[in-house]
Amino acid sequence: MDTVMLQKTAQTLRREAVRMVYEGKDGHPGPALSIADIVTVLFFQEMRLDPARPDWEDRDRFIISKGHACPIYYAALNERGYFQPKVEHFALRQLGSTFQGHPSMHSTVGVDMTSGSLGNGIAIASGMALAGRAQGKDYYVYCICGDGELQEGVCWEGANVAAGRQLDHLITFVDRNGWQSYKSIDETVGRNNPADRFRAFGWDVYEIDGHDMEAIHAAVEAAKTVKGKPHCIVCDCVKGKGVSFMEGDNAWHKGVPTDEQYATAMKELGGDD
Amino acid sequence: MRNFKGTREAFAAAVMDMAENDARVMVVSPDSLKAMRATEFGETYPDRYVECGIAEQGAVDVAAGLASCGMLPFVGTYCGFLTMRACEQMRTFVGYTDQNVKFVGVNAGLLGGEREGVTHQFYEDLAIVSAFPNFTIFTPADPAQCYHAVRLAAETQGPVYIRGGSGREVDVYDKEAPFSPDGITIWRDYGKDAVLFSNGYVLDRVIAAADILKDKGINVTVADINILYGKNDAKIVEAIRSAEQLFTIEDHNINGGLGSYISRLSTEHAPRKVKRIALTTYGESGPAKELADQYGYSPEAIAQTVAETLK
Repeated sequence: MDTVMLQKTAQTLRREAVRMVYEGKDGHPGPALSIADIVTVLFFQEMRLDPARPDWEDRDRFIISKGHACPIYYAALNERGYFQPKVEHFALRQLGSTFQGHPSMHSTVGVDMTSGSLGNGIAIASGMALAGRAQGKDYYVYCICGDGELQEGVCWEGANVAAGRQLDHLITFVDRNGWQSYKSIDETVGRNNPADRFRAFGWDVYEIDGHDMEAIHAAVEAAKTVKGKPHCIVCDCVKGKGVSFMEGDNAWHKGVPTDEQYATAMKELGGDD
Repeated sequence: MRNFKGTREAFAAAVMDMAENDARVMVVSPDSLKAMRATEFGETYPDRYVECGIAEQGAVDVAAGLASCGMLPFVGTYCGFLTMRACEQMRTFVGYTDQNVKFVGVNAGLLGGEREGVTHQFYEDLAIVSAFPNFTIFTPADPAQCYHAVRLAAETQGPVYIRGGSGREVDVYDKEAPFSPDGITIWRDYGKDAVLFSNGYVLDRVIAAADILKDKGINVTVADINILYGKNDAKIVEAIRSAEQLFTIEDHNINGGLGSYISRLSTEHAPRKVKRIALTTYGESGPAKELADQYGYSPEAIAQTVAETLK
């Protein structure tokens, strides 16, 4: 898929994520839009997947450690063809729905690991990478963390294991959008650079624009050439990216658009295409 | 079967025996390989031993990731560091996800923690794990039973928690005796004045108490309950029905362990009086035997409580 197509797909996923929250009347649109481009590159370009065989042992693994951003994940699985027939209305967070408030591996086909309780993705992904090594498989494990999430100590327990075991088939993205639930990260715990921290833990680190498809692709490809270290791609992202009134307004960490806001969002995300 | 002495050595022997024939078997260690007496596993199978350092939450997460990709990881360390420090990881990423991760929590109870003191003595683990759906809970009563429990855990689909000690356990069972799938083994059947339900490493003391009581003309039955909150409780209910007065004796807090389990089954199936002998305070440091005696687990103290309750 070329860059233009990837960009178009990312906009489709964004529309679906916003629609999901709008219809379900609950959810986290800002964090979902923040990682839309990373998720698009992974699901439509980088990852070795077969939607017809969601349990294929040789598939690449994916864990969305910041599980509250799941609307974009559900949208990607849907567009990628995991659900037959394609889902029209997700019923996000509704009773009996396939689409739980945070991803559940036993509820939703294609979800490799339950997530949502912050901080656990890197360590779980490390276990997945270790299993691949033990089984002589060459799959990659991709993990997306939030920058706020890195305040959880268990992140660094996982980072230790990954570096100590030289898990070069583990690629972690950090969604550096600078915000967390209540305030900015700087206001919450002070300024820090996740890239420096991962370097200090012995990781192979990249810093890119998280909305640049080619940069995301290039960072993944570069990471795959570096042996003996886990990889961290720190992505500068905009929370709420693509919807003008959500960008830069942390009220959209969790929130539901009104009818009018929804119409505006769809228009801005190319819904007329 | 390899030779072993305590429950930790039994764990190590079982994983070594299994690893020979099952390439899925792995050991995940939060710097606990030495404590679990499993250094031989690490030396023999370096690629199947994952050292996470002193980091229980990360270790449980790593195990969840391994299991999700088809491996059979065992995580062993002090039971409180598992069930309390890594409580949420056990619950959400192993219990809720129904992953095939096996836990061995050692230093359980006063007997397990003994000289270490309260920071390393845990009497709350069963209460915690029993609140997690999908978990199977094994409470072996001696090292040989622990060995068989570990083997059975590997054959049991989904999360399993096994309660281990620290080498102060007394041999009770024949070494070859299987870990009962019924969750109950009758050890004394002197009569039905009462049933004494025991679990874990106080079983030898409860058996001794039954013998003391017999000499006093009080004839009781002793039942070892080796699976807590299991799916197959028919034989336990049968034992509950067999007497009017029941006792539970466990090296655990009075809430959430064996006493709670028997009380629940009794309430639901055959209401009986249940006297629970268990901990209601934190412990302290001391040699295992003296400590257990001090906190009411001597055969004489157990016999006395039973006799006075039956008056």
